[in-house]
Parts: sequence; C-alpha cells; structure tokens
Amino acid sequence: MSGVFFLQQLLNGISFGALLFLIASGFTLVFGLMRISNLAHGAFYLLGAYIAVVTVAVTHSFWVGLLVGAVAAAVIGLGLERGLLRRVRGKEMPEVLLTVGVSFVIADLVLWIFGGDPKSITSGNGAPSGALVIGDFTYPQYRLFIIGVTLVIGTALFLAQRYSKFGAIVRAGVDNREAASALGIDIDRVFTWVFVVGAALAGVAGAIGSGLLSLSPSSGTEMLLYAMVVVIVGGLGSITGAAVGAVLIGLIDAFTKVLLPEFAYFTIFAPMALILVFRPRGLFGRAA
Amino acid sequence: MNARRPSTGAVVKGAILAALLVVAFVCPYVLGSYYVSLLSIALIAAILASSINVLAGNAGLVSLGHAGIAAASGYGLAWAYRQGWELWAQLGMAALLTAVASVLYGLISMRTRGISFLMVTLAAGMVVYGMAYRWSSVTGGTNGLPGIRRPEGIAEYWQFYFLVLVAFCFVTLALIVVGRSSFGLTLRGIRDSETRMVSLGYNVPLYKFGAMLVSGAVAGVAGVLAVWHSEFISPVVAGFQESAISMIMVALGGIGTVLGPLVGAVLVTGFQHVLSSVFERWSTLLGLIFILSVIFAPQGIVGGVADLMRRIRRRGAPPRREQLDAEFRA
Repeated sequence: MSGVFFLQQLLNGISFGALLFLIASGFTLVFGLMRISNLAHGAFYLLGAYIAVVTVAVTHSFWVGLLVGAVAAAVIGLGLERGLLRRVRGKEMPEVLLTVGVSFVIADLVLWIFGGDPKSITSGNGAPSGALVIGDFTYPQYRLFIIGVTLVIGTALFLAQRYSKFGAIVRAGVDNREAASALGIDIDRVFTWVFVVGAALAGVAGAIGSGLLSLSPSSGTEMLLYAMVVVIVGGLGSITGAAVGAVLIGLIDAFTKVLLPEFAYFTIFAPMALILVFRPRGLFGRAA
Repeated sequence: MNARRPSTGAVVKGAILAALLVVAFVCPYVLGSYYVSLLSIALIAAILASSINVLAGNAGLVSLGHAGIAAASGYGLAWAYRQGWELWAQLGMAALLTAVASVLYGLISMRTRGISFLMVTLAAGMVVYGMAYRWSSVTGGTNGLPGIRRPEGIAEYWQFYFLVLVAFCFVTLALIVVGRSSFGLTLRGIRDSETRMVSLGYNVPLYKFGAMLVSGAVAGVAGVLAVWHSEFISPVVAGFQESAISMIMVALGGIGTVLGPLVGAVLVTGFQHVLSSVFERWSTLLGLIFILSVIFAPQGIVGGVADLMRRIRRRGAPPRREQLDAEFRA
C-alpha cells in the first residue's frame, strides 16, 4: 500500500466516520436521555436525504436543501414523539416496536413518492465538488467538506451540552430523570426537544450523505445499523463515544473494503457483538 | 385454572384449535395450488415466529435477529444439496449450522436483556447476513444458491403443505410442553424478576442460553422448510427486514400466546402476497396497523381477543392484565 493510497483510505474512513457521527449523535442523545432505542432514526435519515435531493433539484442550492431536509426530519420527529411515543412512555418494548412500525411506514411512503431507483444529490450548488490536487495526491473535496461540516456540528453539540443551560438540563436528565423532574424541570418538554434535535441531525446526515453514498429506500435501514454499531461501540448516550466510535467504524469499514472485501459486514458487526459481551456499556459509556 | 375440570376458557381454546386443524387438513382439497402454497409460506413464517415467541413470551427476550439462524440452517441444507450429499447429510448440515448459530447467538446474548438483547441479536443477524452476502465462493453472494429441489415424497405442493402443517403442529405442541415444564417456569421467573431468580440461586445466563438453543432449533426447522419451499436461498432471508417482519408477526399476534405467531404470520403473509396485488401500499398499511396495535392492544390480537372474552364472561370485572403488562415491561 503506497503512502498516497494509504492517506486516501485514511481520509475515506474519516469522512465516512464523520457522516456516521452525524447520524449516531442523534441516536445516542435520544437513547441517553429517553432510554429509547429509536429504530426510526434511519427513516429520519432517509426522509432528510430525499427531501434534500428534491429541494436541491428545484432551488439549486445545497444549503437550502440541507435546511429543508433537516426541518422535514425534525417535524416528523416531533410528530412521532408527541403523537405516538408519548402514549407508551417508559415502556421499553412498546417504544421500540412503535419506532419499528414508523420506520416501515416512512420507508414505504418514500418508495411510493420517490421510486426505488437510486438517487443522489446534484453536486455543486454551493457545496464543494471536484478534486483537491496536491502533487500525486488527489482527493474529492466533498469528502473533506463532510469532515468540516461535522467538525462544526460536533463542536457546537459539545459546547451546547457542556456550557448552555439546556445542555445542563439534558445532562441532569441523563444522570437522573426523576431527580431532574422533581427539581421542577419539565422533563417531557426536554424529551421532545432532544428528540427533535436528534431527528434534525439525522436529516442533516441524510442530506450530506446523499452526496456521498447512493440513496435508495433501503438506505435508512443501512444507516440505522451503522449508527447502532457506532453507538454501541462508543457507549450508549455518550457524544464523545459516538465521535470515537464513528471514526473507528469508518476506518474499519474503509480499510476492510480494500483489504478483506469478503468480510465487510463481519468486521463491523463482530466487534459490536464482542463489545456487547465483554464491555456492554461501550468504550465511553457509563456503568448502568 | 382448575386442575381437574377444564375451565370454559380451556374448552373454547381446545375447540378453536380442533376446528383450525380440521380446516387446515381440508384446505388442499378445496383450494388451488396458489393458495395452498401461500398457506405453506404462512405456516413456515409462523414456525419462525414461534421461535421468537418462545423467547419473548417465556423469557421476555425480544429478538431482532432470528432470521439469521433460519438462514444459517437454510444455507447448510442448500450448500450440502449442491455438493450432491444424501438427504440425511443435507439435514445434518442444516442441523449443524443451526446449532453453531444458536450457540453463538446464545453465548453473546445470555448476559443481556431488554434493549441490549434486541441489539445483540440484531448484530448477530447482521453478521450472518454479511457472511451470506460477501462469502460468495460458498454462499453464491447476492445470487444465492438456486435449484434446491425438494426430495421425493414432498415434491408436490400439497405433499409439502402437509409436511409443513405437521411440522408446525409438532413445533407448537413441543413449545407448549417447554413452556409448561419447570424450565419454562424458570424462564418466566427470570422474565418477571431476574434479580429474584439470581438470589434464589438460579444460573440465569445458563437458562437464557438454553432458551436460545430451543428457540434456535425451531428457527432451524423454519429455515429448512423455507429453502424447500422456494427451492432457493439468498442473503435477503437473513436480513434485518426479515427478522423485523417476524418480530412484528409475534407482537401483532400476541407475545406469549399459543396462536399469536400463527395469527400474525397469516395476517402479514396475507398482506404481503394477497393484498399487495390490489393495494400497492400494503407495507404502509401493515405499519399503521402495527402502530395502532402497539398503542391500543399491546397484548396483540390473540391477547386482545382473549382479554375481551374474559371481560365479557366476567361482565365488567377487571381483566387480569398484570401478567401481560409485565411481559411488556420486561
């Protein structure tokens, strides 16, 4: 493996990991606070992606597409949380089953409205396209752009969680729901907001991902599975864990696709299974 | 329930089962080949759903990866068939792979419960899917392994239907026996309070491991029958979608009920194959029905009907829902 090739694979891994972080961070936030394993999270990705693709085709602006995709996912997230999940609050299994049902419906409606053919977002339109060339080394600018956007969003999330009042409330809720709500915090409202933010993050991931990966009605499930692996490896509920897990899984994915193509899924899901057995709280998760 | 004199409920249940059995045996003489094949599909799906139900109903462990065990079994049979092995050796290969898959599923999941169990089984299922998809020199990759003919004696569609029916009845009876054994009682104890069972000295992970082996064996039966039905196997059968649909069948029918897997499987298979020809958005409808059932009838169709009948019999006396609720909280 030459130096240039290695560097390209390294960046492939990191940029894919960046996308994984965007989708996994929302999943982990919701799980950390609400203890909901939201299997409809992939459907939010799907929705954000398709709506962004259509919006960009109409408005010729990547950023408008990104925004509309994120808002659409957030609105559906709001509906799911307020309209459905609230009715089975605190019952672990019904919550999961509900999200499975919702993901079924959304995936089927997306198939109906947008068809089954793979789509991708029109390149350019305000997002970088083309290749970065430095001597022997060429690399798609869009992938670097993903890393940049994710750094911005990740930093914002980190700062918000660490320094804002809402962040403090969320952290309090993660630590002890009952105590937080006994102190006068309207925990139901916090749940709704966190769920909406999580959905919006998945929508953003969808919009950005549709420029990197091909988009089809089954992309939602695929990305959900990746997000779950990342979150379980990193530790459920931990943003730092999601970041580390995302980069780790991104790198494993990039290098095994080149080195051991026969074991692509194996090398991702087997570590997840092992972590679940030997360190169930993940690399950065706290003990239950 | 009175031990000597069967209660009205038990009589009603027995009558329903007997009537169903009669109908099931008459079907091939009345219905055309298309519908009989469809029934075979539904019964095979019901067997796979039963394998999930035995875990969910008794031990409170909901799996999202059981299609992986069935697929391992199916691939074993299909691979051995294409090597030109004898029937008994094909079945042996299927049994071996089922056992290997069940042991691995059991080992990685026996210390988990609730959501973690769900995620571990999901991950295990994806490992099987990944191997089926990528290890193409053995599994045929995306193209799968085609041309797996049924052996003599069950080659005709109606012969095969009877085999599937017998298998389903056998599996259902066996699982009832397991559920009523002391093993089953221990599992229900674990479902209701794991800590209590631990402090009573039960080796909880070992029981969960055992439950997975029982459940895996049933899934393996479904896997073999599924390959014989479609004469083909591809990675799709191991996928997340397949596991999720099987789990939906169980939850829709009623977790922990005897007839729940059958009702759920018939309903979902009907949606997939019959309704899909008239209404293209069957999947949306199924999802919506499922959502409504989770909210309004969390004990599923069979559980809901049983609940309703109890309520009518007792004329407004509160139903015994503690147990059903406990299942869902587990």
